[in-house]
Amino acid sequence: MIRISELRKVYSDGTVALDGIDAEMEKRVTAVIGRNGAGKTTMMRILSTQLAPTSGKVFIDGLDVMRQTTEVRKKIASIPQEATPIGILTPEEHVTLYLMARNFSHADARRETLTALDNLGIREYRNKPADTLSGGTKRKIFVAMAIASNADTVFLDEPTTGLDPVSRMEVWSSIRKLDGNIIVTTHYMEEAEELSQEVFLVDRGTVIERGEVKALLSRFSGKLRAESHSPIDGATQISNTFIKYIQSGEVEKYASMGCTIKRITLDDIFINRGVDVES
Amino acid sequence: MNPRFSLYFAWYYGFRVIGRGSSYVIASIATPLTLLFLVFVLSHGQLVEYAVVGGFVSLIASNGLTSASDAAFLRLQAKIQDLFIATSISSTDYMIGLTLSFLLFTTPGIVLYAALSLLYHLFTIERVLVLVAVLFMLALSTSAISFIIAGAIRHIRNVWGIVGILSIIMTVLPPTYYPYTYLPRSIIYILAISPATPAAIILQGAFGLSPEFLAMILVLVGETIVYLSLAKYFTRWREK
Repeated sequence: MIRISELRKVYSDGTVALDGIDAEMEKRVTAVIGRNGAGKTTMMRILSTQLAPTSGKVFIDGLDVMRQTTEVRKKIASIPQEATPIGILTPEEHVTLYLMARNFSHADARRETLTALDNLGIREYRNKPADTLSGGTKRKIFVAMAIASNADTVFLDEPTTGLDPVSRMEVWSSIRKLDGNIIVTTHYMEEAEELSQEVFLVDRGTVIERGEVKALLSRFSGKLRAESHSPIDGATQISNTFIKYIQSGEVEKYASMGCTIKRITLDDIFINRGVDVES
Repeated sequence: MNPRFSLYFAWYYGFRVIGRGSSYVIASIATPLTLLFLVFVLSHGQLVEYAVVGGFVSLIASNGLTSASDAAFLRLQAKIQDLFIATSISSTDYMIGLTLSFLLFTTPGIVLYAALSLLYHLFTIERVLVLVAVLFMLALSTSAISFIIAGAIRHIRNVWGIVGILSIIMTVLPPTYYPYTYLPRSIIYILAISPATPAAIILQGAFGLSPEFLAMILVLVGETIVYLSLAKYFTRWREK
């Protein structure tokens, strides 16, 4: 379980990345979602001991991330968002070396590496230099590290960015097989819905919503989203799109106005900020 | 400490990389060999023994400094350092691994210079022992400087320029290819900021090429400790 209290991060240039986050993450898979620059990566870097907070506390399974760093590092695995493989090394070498850093014996590291590469469908590329692999396969190398790590808590910062839909599903499938607690950041709402039992919606360094996916979506019970590029009465305008939440009985009316009708997703939690769906 | 990791890191990032791209090795010996040739021609062979002994120093020092590019790349671009932070290894394990990787690149150059030293009858057991000890400290101190650079910069592009400038200041200007006695003491003390300077002076003394200057042993040991301490701080195993 992860307990975060009053977590704040202000960078040296004055940018407030996190502005007093309080959270308890106790579900098996937790998704942290938010727009680019919302503070997701800063939060993940602090949780995974890579970055010091300006103030606040973080405990992972009761261990203080700042004071008991060595113990915390043994229990966690963290895959950075922008990690890229070393071009001249192969996937097998990357994962094996990573597992060696996690105190695996060489034999165990190799065995677990092959299993993880198998799970992700990239075993056939295991001896090819990373430079020669596609972007998706390169990303899967890092996911393989997380899968093979046997860590109690795994942080995955946007693990499927840049992957095609099939690869993304393969990664989801592998993430589901992980034993420990998983904290995944994403800006794909579909991914959060697919993977997580609980989501934290982060915006401008604060948690603006938190809950189980079903509970969050239930606020929109019986509603659909109508979208149009032409103005609609009472709609929220985002860029050149007008969005209105409508009852299912109103579909025909809005469709005849040229609106596109969509089912409710986690996107709507963000879109709907400041709009009272109950009214 | 996890020396097993450091050795495997060196194996993967050093030995296997050499096997796949020998240009690393050629690049590491290109400058020392070019300067050896120039010294041979310009001095009509008279200073060639200085250049052979200095070649060892230049090879290790320039290679150590070049590792700044890789350390910066792994930290800022590839984010591999971040990946290793959340594991059981310490910044020291990581630094040792990367230093050993780069030392492997120098192996062919060391063999070449060892052959030249034999050719010019420069080796005795005592001299070889001094050479190994000095090169070991030089490798540590110059690698430490590279980690300081890699940890201090914010953009990967900056590292190439800094390494280029430092390679000249720290390996070509010091008395690696000529007798240190050519320099006034004040200049020697200024150049001593580069570990290559005390290393070259100690070796010129040990190999009987120039008078011994024992204070340089203290300078080299002191610099190695200071640079290693700064490197440990700058490697940023948790960023502020």
